[in-house]
Amino acid sequence: MTQSKLYKLRKNPLTDEVSCISKDNGNDRFTIIPINEDNTDYQDYLAWVAEGNTAEAAD
Amino acid sequence: MSTLKVNKLRDTAGSADAIVLDPNGGAVLAGVTTVTSVKVGAAVTISESGIEATGVGITCANLNGGQFGRRNLIINGAMQVAQRGNTSSVTSGYGGADRFKFDRSGAAVVTLRQQGVGNSPTDQGFGFCQQIDVTTADSSLAAGDYALLSYRFEGQDLQQLKKGTANAQQVTLSFYIRSPKTGTHIVELVDQSNSGRHVNKAYTVSVADAWEKKTVTFPMETSNTITNDNARRMDLNWWLAAGSTYSSGTLQTDWGADTNANRAVGQVNCMDSTDNNFYITGVQLELGSQATAFEHRNISEELKLCTRYFQKLQATTGSGNDNPIAVMANFTSTHAYGRIPFFNGIMRTGPSLTASDGSYFSNGASYTGLTFGVGGQSESSIEVNIQASSGNWTAGHAGWYRGGSFELSAEL
Repeated sequence: MTQSKLYKLRKNPLTDEVSCISKDNGNDRFTIIPINEDNTDYQDYLAWVAEGNTAEAAD
Repeated sequence: MSTLKVNKLRDTAGSADAIVLDPNGGAVLAGVTTVTSVKVGAAVTISESGIEATGVGITCANLNGGQFGRRNLIINGAMQVAQRGNTSSVTSGYGGADRFKFDRSGAAVVTLRQQGVGNSPTDQGFGFCQQIDVTTADSSLAAGDYALLSYRFEGQDLQQLKKGTANAQQVTLSFYIRSPKTGTHIVELVDQSNSGRHVNKAYTVSVADAWEKKTVTFPMETSNTITNDNARRMDLNWWLAAGSTYSSGTLQTDWGADTNANRAVGQVNCMDSTDNNFYITGVQLELGSQATAFEHRNISEELKLCTRYFQKLQATTGSGNDNPIAVMANFTSTHAYGRIPFFNGIMRTGPSLTASDGSYFSNGASYTGLTFGVGGQSESSIEVNIQASSGNWTAGHAGWYRGGSFELSAEL
């Protein structure tokens, strides 16, 4: 299990539905990842989840 | 018909032989010979109209001593484009020159830099190169340790290889490297369409810390086609270090199933000291068995090709009101929305967004501590929403994100 990355779900305030995932890169840098299966950052997130990890829930 | 037996023919007024006959049936013609057409076997005809070749066609190294156009399958092979800038503390990711990714397992940490003329093989026509500077060494490789420099291809860009068909074509890789180590280095192709099938070739570095040109030809297999889409379907990897997991077998010099032990047999450890620097440029992958002159492209064209995978929207220096990156609308008192078109070009897919060092300015106030989100996105634009950590702005007003940068990534 890898915990070196921290993911947090984010909601679209208009729809109140999860629309993206925030990845903490350290040093106050965050990558916002769309829910898009062609996006390799999203693929990495799915692989991280498949390893048994869970993202922080959306606010 | 009788046979005229002579050794040489000469004009009656001439001073030198025009034709010298060979006892084995050949002939050597001196001076200018004019003929209507010459046939070489059944495949090649040379005439006043030109050269007509069937079958294998023409194999040659250059055109008028220079490059052929549109042969290089690699984007940014001359390392001209470096949108991210130099990047330190890299264990996996991009930095320095676009499109080339570093990956490792183990202790090694590197800085990735685009270097200029002072470190590049300018005598070979290259003003830039990619530097991999080892900042944390991995001097004692564990079995599973490795380090790689990778280039990833979309499947739709590789259909011309005809992999998986009876007409599959071999490809030739050429590049310039400056390695801190002499000896065996490994480069490989990995087919991501077919469970990581791979083919691996060794090349030898003769002199440490000196530029050398290397050429490697990979076979292509007639089975296992490459999926024709926009996903990562083939990797080109330069091994930089390999533990026994990747080096304890027999080097797989023809295509075969994924077998880690056969991938990097003999690879020297370029990660074993913080004194080590690995440089590379002039990367070209092309059809056929002949390496041709490097296909130089101008910076505008190369940048355009790179922006399919990564774009950086950078404010000009300073953080004043004249440095907006994105104009937004305050949809509510806590959230602003905007849609950012990718003015630099269509991207491979909807990208990820990394924003840094900026602030949101609206109605005379500046807001920091921003939280970003993305919504509907495509290959041509992305919806961005911003929320400040404290304070409210006025709904219905406009604002803009200024200073800092937006990085959009659709890498493979």
